[in-house]
Amino acid sequence: MSKLVLQARQLTKVFSSPSGPLEVLRGVDLEVAAGVSVSIRGASGSGKTTLLQLLGGLDVPDRGKVEVLDGDVMVSPARRLGKAQGFVFQNYQLMPELNALENVALAAKIAGKSDAQARQAAEELLQQVGLAERRTHLPAKLSGGECQRVALARALVNQPALLLADEPTGNLDERTAEEVMQLLLSLVAARGLALVLVTHSVEFASRTQQRYVLSGGVLVPA
Amino acid sequence: MVSILGVGLGVASLLVVQTVMNGFGEEHRLRIRESFGDCVIVGQRPLEQPEKLLQTLRADSAVSSATSYAEGPALLRQGDYSAVAAVRGIEVGDLHQPARNYVVLGAFDDLDDGRVILGLGLARQLRVRVGDHVELWSPAMAERAEKGKAPLPADFEVCAILRTGFTEVDDRAALIPLRRFQALWNLGPRAHGLILRLKDPAKAPDTADRLSIGRSGLRFVPWQELKKNFLEAIRFEKTMLFFLMFIITLVASFSIGSTLFSAVIRRTREVGVLVAMGAQRWQIIALFGLQGWLIGALGILLGFILTWLILFFREGILGAINHTFGDGDMVANIYQFSKVPLHYDAHDFIIAAAFTLLVTTLAGLVPALWAARRKPSEAMRDV
Repeated sequence: MSKLVLQARQLTKVFSSPSGPLEVLRGVDLEVAAGVSVSIRGASGSGKTTLLQLLGGLDVPDRGKVEVLDGDVMVSPARRLGKAQGFVFQNYQLMPELNALENVALAAKIAGKSDAQARQAAEELLQQVGLAERRTHLPAKLSGGECQRVALARALVNQPALLLADEPTGNLDERTAEEVMQLLLSLVAARGLALVLVTHSVEFASRTQQRYVLSGGVLVPA
Repeated sequence: MVSILGVGLGVASLLVVQTVMNGFGEEHRLRIRESFGDCVIVGQRPLEQPEKLLQTLRADSAVSSATSYAEGPALLRQGDYSAVAAVRGIEVGDLHQPARNYVVLGAFDDLDDGRVILGLGLARQLRVRVGDHVELWSPAMAERAEKGKAPLPADFEVCAILRTGFTEVDDRAALIPLRRFQALWNLGPRAHGLILRLKDPAKAPDTADRLSIGRSGLRFVPWQELKKNFLEAIRFEKTMLFFLMFIITLVASFSIGSTLFSAVIRRTREVGVLVAMGAQRWQIIALFGLQGWLIGALGILLGFILTWLILFFREGILGAINHTFGDGDMVANIYQFSKVPLHYDAHDFIIAAAFTLLVTTLAGLVPALWAARRKPSEAMRDV
């Protein structure tokens, strides 16, 4: 069996609400091996995004533990943000003042690359996502599909072993969504990355190797 | 931009006030020294043998010059115009006499027993120019009249007119030779006091203490003591104004804090994204802290430029204020200077810059700390 790149044990997350504590996740277990793609579907408000944030280290569970592969050891994802795992968000989350190239290069610079290295890596990634010609454009001048491709390039620029995608096609029309998803899956496959994809789409979920539904705070194989 | 302007105005107001107050203080100190000397020696009665004491004092290593003087009020008259003057008898040969520097018409060296030097304001009151004559009535002449003898005024030709810029002096001063003063006031060879000019005026109190040893009948008054209350008032005024201006700068700094806080809140989502990309907390803090520091640094630079501009055009600005509010020349009337004095003190500039930089950096750091402590998942939910 391939090496694990993500391991989550008994993840529990409780939010406070006016009607009392709301337990969104109730002991979720998940293991993702290198090169394996996983999809998670679920109703709105079921906790898909919360789970993805816990898996990526953007939030901390109330109980349970998450670890991601960093080199040869498993570490807390919060310690390796932007390096061991890349994120693609539904709303792209690009810096509005930076152009496409700068947005991608910024992630590389934060990871410790020099300006020249970051720029070179960003240019290569933008070439791969088909945006080399639009690298100097600001996000406001790019279409939704182009913005998501920039966000994908940014997520991959530090060569993570794991890609976490939160409804990456949620804001796109059907045709653009299909293009972006094809690109995402082909890049993941070409690089041998593990993928955790949160989506509403049964169609896109069916293209992953392991499929789950988040229901009642637990993951159920689909 | 507005934040930088706010800091700039705060710094400029602080420095303009401090520089002008320093100028007033320095000018007053200089005028006091030039009008009264670095150290004045007086007794309970007029000094009987001033020449002997002068010789001893001139030999002292701390003394650069010593001269005797006498002074008193007199009535000056020219035709239908008259004025009360503060007449001072001075040693004509004294090359250190500061009045030499302030002669604007005529020549100081023309002063002799038949001539007088008048302040510009006094000359205007009497409607006299250089070469005109004035009559001088001394109190001794009144005594003469009381004894039944006909008093005769002394006649003087105006040989020079001086303008110190110190209205109190210019409107009242009349300088005549000491010898003539002694005759008109029936002083004989006596003098009212001695004036010392010192090589280091700042050390006047120590020098005065040392020189007074063994001369118990005399009082040695350093220039710092001559108008002590006045100088204290200026110092107090400067401190109070610094305090008020400090509050203005503080208010400007709070406005920066609120601007930066708004900026951080507006960019909360981006802060979340930066953290998601791996940015460390200290990098987020540094980013916004640096923004506050940069606003402070640019504000200080702007404040320095504004300070220089305001002070360079101060006469025009003051003239416009006087013209608008119709208060006349306030500087001349109230502060007795012909123009607003300045004294740039590097110490004030360093303190203002350091304080402003500290406050603006802190104003940036507080929201930065808040932003950096937020979880990226929460931050990215904000728009």
